[in-house]
Amino acid sequence: MARTRRSLRWGAVASAAMVAGLLPLATTGGQAQALEQDGKNIFVVGVLQDVDNLNPFKGITVAAYEAWALTYDSLTGYGADRFEPVPQLAKDWGASEDGLTWTYNLVDNATFSDGEPLTADDVVYTFQRIMDGESIERTNWGSYVKNIESVTAVDDTTVEMVVEEPSPIMDTLTIPILPEHIWKNIDADALRKYTNEPDSDPPGMVGSGPFIMTDAVKGQYYRFETNPNYWGDQPNIDGVEYKIYQNDNGLVTALENGEIDFADDIEASLFNTLEGNPDVTAKSSQYSGFNYLTFNGGAQLTDGTPIGNGHPSLKDPIVREAIHYAIDKEALVDRTLQGRGSPGDTFIPPIYGDFHQTVEDPITYDPDMANKLLDDAGYAMGSDGIRTMPDGSDPLVYQLYSRQNSKTSQTTIQLLEGWLKAIGIDSKSESVSEGRLYGIAGDGTFDMYEWGWVVEPDPDYQVSVFTCDQMSYETKSGQVYAGLNDSFYCDKEYDQLYQDQAIEVDRAARADLVKQAQQKVYDANAYIVTEYYDYLQAYRNDRFTGFVEQPSDNGAILFQYGTYSYENIKPVSADSGSGSSSDSNTALIIGGVAAAAVLVGLIVWFATRGRRGANADVE
Amino acid sequence: MAQQEPGGVSDAALDPTEFGRVQRPSRVSGIGRFTARRLLTGLGTLAFVLVFNFFLFQMLPGDPLARYKGAREISAEDLAALRQELESPLWEQFFNYVKDPLQLDSYSTIQGKPVWEVIADALPWTLILLGTSTLLATVIGIWIGIRAGWNRGSKFDKNSTGITLFLYATPEFWLGLLLILFFSTGFWIFPGIFPSGSAIGSGLDPWTVDGVISIAWHTVLPAASLAAVYLADYSLIMRASMVDELGQDYLMTARAKGLMDRAIRRGHAVPNASLPTITLIFLNIGFIIGGAITVETVFSYPGLGLLTWNAIQADDLPLLQALFLFFSVSVIVFNMIADIVIAAIDPRIRL
Amino acid sequence: MTTDTAPTVAIPSVRAIRWKRRQVATARFIRAFSRYRSGLFGVGILLFFVAVAVSAPYVFPEYLLDPNANLSNSVYAPPSAEFYYWMGTDDLGRSVLAELAWGARPSLVVGILASIMAMIIGTLVGIASGHFRGFFGGSMERLTDWFLVLPFVPTVIVLQAVLGETTIWITVIVLGITSWPGTARLVRAQTLSVEARPYIERAKVLGNSDWAQMVRHILPNVMPLVIANTTLTVAIVILSMTTLAFLGLLDPNLISWGGMLDSADATGAALQGAWWFLIPPGLCVIAVVLAFTLIGRTLEVVLNPRLGSN
Repeated sequence: MARTRRSLRWGAVASAAMVAGLLPLATTGGQAQALEQDGKNIFVVGVLQDVDNLNPFKGITVAAYEAWALTYDSLTGYGADRFEPVPQLAKDWGASEDGLTWTYNLVDNATFSDGEPLTADDVVYTFQRIMDGESIERTNWGSYVKNIESVTAVDDTTVEMVVEEPSPIMDTLTIPILPEHIWKNIDADALRKYTNEPDSDPPGMVGSGPFIMTDAVKGQYYRFETNPNYWGDQPNIDGVEYKIYQNDNGLVTALENGEIDFADDIEASLFNTLEGNPDVTAKSSQYSGFNYLTFNGGAQLTDGTPIGNGHPSLKDPIVREAIHYAIDKEALVDRTLQGRGSPGDTFIPPIYGDFHQTVEDPITYDPDMANKLLDDAGYAMGSDGIRTMPDGSDPLVYQLYSRQNSKTSQTTIQLLEGWLKAIGIDSKSESVSEGRLYGIAGDGTFDMYEWGWVVEPDPDYQVSVFTCDQMSYETKSGQVYAGLNDSFYCDKEYDQLYQDQAIEVDRAARADLVKQAQQKVYDANAYIVTEYYDYLQAYRNDRFTGFVEQPSDNGAILFQYGTYSYENIKPVSADSGSGSSSDSNTALIIGGVAAAAVLVGLIVWFATRGRRGANADVE
Repeated sequence: MAQQEPGGVSDAALDPTEFGRVQRPSRVSGIGRFTARRLLTGLGTLAFVLVFNFFLFQMLPGDPLARYKGAREISAEDLAALRQELESPLWEQFFNYVKDPLQLDSYSTIQGKPVWEVIADALPWTLILLGTSTLLATVIGIWIGIRAGWNRGSKFDKNSTGITLFLYATPEFWLGLLLILFFSTGFWIFPGIFPSGSAIGSGLDPWTVDGVISIAWHTVLPAASLAAVYLADYSLIMRASMVDELGQDYLMTARAKGLMDRAIRRGHAVPNASLPTITLIFLNIGFIIGGAITVETVFSYPGLGLLTWNAIQADDLPLLQALFLFFSVSVIVFNMIADIVIAAIDPRIRL
Repeated sequence: MTTDTAPTVAIPSVRAIRWKRRQVATARFIRAFSRYRSGLFGVGILLFFVAVAVSAPYVFPEYLLDPNANLSNSVYAPPSAEFYYWMGTDDLGRSVLAELAWGARPSLVVGILASIMAMIIGTLVGIASGHFRGFFGGSMERLTDWFLVLPFVPTVIVLQAVLGETTIWITVIVLGITSWPGTARLVRAQTLSVEARPYIERAKVLGNSDWAQMVRHILPNVMPLVIANTTLTVAIVILSMTTLAFLGLLDPNLISWGGMLDSADATGAALQGAWWFLIPPGLCVIAVVLAFTLIGRTLEVVLNPRLGSN
């Protein structure tokens, strides 16, 4: 329980986790592969997080994005090798000389699962809907289109877009292309309540992707079959099913018992227990998430008005640096991740090798150095072992927060308290729900807390987190809301770097800017990136083989930006599918008999004991 | 320390497992009038719960809009409209609430569906779990209670009282964890044959034979955890009422007349002694609907308890508020049923 | 009725008479109580845990519980011969035995304080609803009914959010607020029966104030019952607290048995076979709850002659 590491934070986490998908090599259309009713090879995936909403304008969980990836195609996607832009519905594309007009040539045989052809009009409709839409239509996908001035269909397979400024995002337009003939019947009001399930009205989950959703029971399972009309190669499996588990124990047990073929996002301690099982391959991959500690480095609104009650010492970069020295990241990785991860440095994780900035001379655990920094800066140690401000006021006592639903968060804060104590800083800590912490962050009523980010392949969003614009803001009625910037780091040079990378179309030049931005945040100690955690997955190697990693350098094998593994895995033997179901039936019957026997035995035992007792007692 | 005068307090109320939860109905004559009066007090309680529900959730700290907004990107206009609604005077909000206490149009923030639809989805599973465990607990618990009470002081009495007191003290989720350790993971000589999560095998239709078998299979461990604890409750109170009943004059007389023990037990002692237990069973049904949170969490059983847990985790206040109301109402309703059933069985109560 | 038949002693001082009476009553109570083996067994368990709770800081120095001080220990090490590690280590490499000992403290403190709070509220509301007729008594009775139907876990969660923090004192208050209606019910019933007795009638006729009637006549008569009931409430409160800790709703820095089970569950102790972190905390909860239940049941019998007669 109490663990939602992959739950979306700040609502944006997976916001670009969209379809990449198959290279349009085969354009032969859906072949009529004879599917027997029995003996289907259904790939059963156990997950911990439910789909919150299948409506692509509303859902935010990773599971929802994965369901859309199976169902819908987008214009372009992210490659399996290193998240490079790759073709999808757009078999090729390019920009005009000035970078302002982008032309996308679509494959000519894409068809929606209800038989209607997918044309440039559907692309235009999808984009236009987001661009012209109300808040609900812009929430999930608005960031992709904010730079787009117009979208037009030149012909059935050509789309042209005009942009205000050249932008690298035009290479990775991962918006799911929706069928106009269905979505035009759902206006903005209806959209708010539309759940986009197969039995919705109008029918939901009609897309051009490799799989079709057939059945959905919330909190239980989601089933997909292959799309016979799919324009790309048919996958080697007959279907996919997601089964929802609410705890890690259940998930891992199910994998060991063969109830599922794949277990996603396993807790580290349980993952270790799987490694001895010959039928299970346990895969520890790099992941795009990191955990961090943030400081209240002087909470203020975007207009510069100070807010909150942060401790004044934390405005001093020296104090933040000292605390950075006081933290043993190796110990954190060991205690909170059972060693399944690595100490962190900058805010784009190393999984994105193109963009990650590796710090030359990173700060490592050195409490003596921390104490020296504080001594030199005049934070004198009081007789009670607690330092005060250089002017003798305000003892250094910090208010810390951890997240109630994360054991990692709580352990991190627990350890932090000890490390702070060792450098003369006292603290009080409290564990609160994420919703409450969001409010606390916005109000600036904290000194430090622990949270995490999951970073998209496109660095734009993550870089924007530290811009001045993203500090808390005040509405006209005087209400203060959190922006993305929960460290209140604000630097004009940094903002310029952000602006520059946003319009740099050359990938290498852009990477250079993004790396500079990371180094600035690192040097200012706005965040302490404590750890990059691994992504722990496992599958039954006696059932399926042929998983694809993304990136190829030790990346995840499922829940990728794309559907690579789904389209490439093969059943290990022809009869494994049917075998599994009869196995479980046999187990059911044997178990049922055993349970009945136990129950009867208990009753007999009690009855005879009772009788004996009764006899002995008759007066 | 002064000792206490005998009499006065009902023995049901004295039972340790009871804590006076048993309602002592007012003295009204006639089952009809009794029922009517009971319904009236039930409605009064309901009204209180509604008001309490409103103010409790009003008192939650922080800006309700900030909580609602959370991570969403809501347009300025939408925010303004919401704000206007939220910033209306308390009495106006209360009035709006009273007009529609069920909040039929409120949406769960985690599931994006109307809250009552979300609750309706989870309810059947809770009812299956609740039904199975209550049935088991009732049958076994009453049986043990009768046997132990009738043969007070016997070996059976001592053993069963010891075991039931132990179970009574056991946290049900801990029992669940142990059952998972022994019968799901497989530990030592125990086979790991039962599933440890969900309520039905993947992809099975609940309306098929396979589906039903699978549901039964998934219910075994969670139902056993719940049943064990409530069984203890029922057998302890049943035993106490039996002992109490056996002290009554009429039974002494019957025994003195030479009536067969078994006849006395079946014909007199058991029916009379069952009343407090029956009351307790109905009351517990009301409580378990909302009280299986830990067991459902441990077993990932997709009922109302797990739903509550998820709503708590995700700060889904609309859902939490609806669940709160639902749980309270179920307790009120079963409370009422208990009183009316008892009154119907035993006219003494409504004399 | 002991108070009426207390031995007449030829000493003029009223205080001395009272003192003597009390001594006799206490002795009689102890004699009666000690006839019940189960009650003595409960007292034994309780004394053991009280001793553990009191001695924990001396036997198990605080560094054993500090995650920073145990970073070099291995996680989930099985039980070993070294005293501190008889029960192995937990998910942070700390001594499980030390945690078990320290965990006795919040269980007992919260259990007893919250029950006392419930006892005070319950007794006040119970006596008031039994003694006063008309609107006031009626509303007190309704109030009890209403609080009885509130769903426990959601109420506690929302209350905790309202009160703002998750400290141990908040837990005491929250559990106290949610645990009193049972006591109130019981006290009301007893009050009604006491009120029916002739000497209360006499007191009323003599013009004693409501306050005097309640304090002098009703309270002494309901107190034995209340004490027995409170002992049983402690058992329930400890179970409730364990549940809250297991759900992660207590202060995570607080070492408690329920919190240990939460950690065990969250870090997969069961699947890793770390039974030493899963089974002992549960057994401790059971032992303490059982102790209070046994004592409470015995007190009931001893203090209620009708139950004790056969």
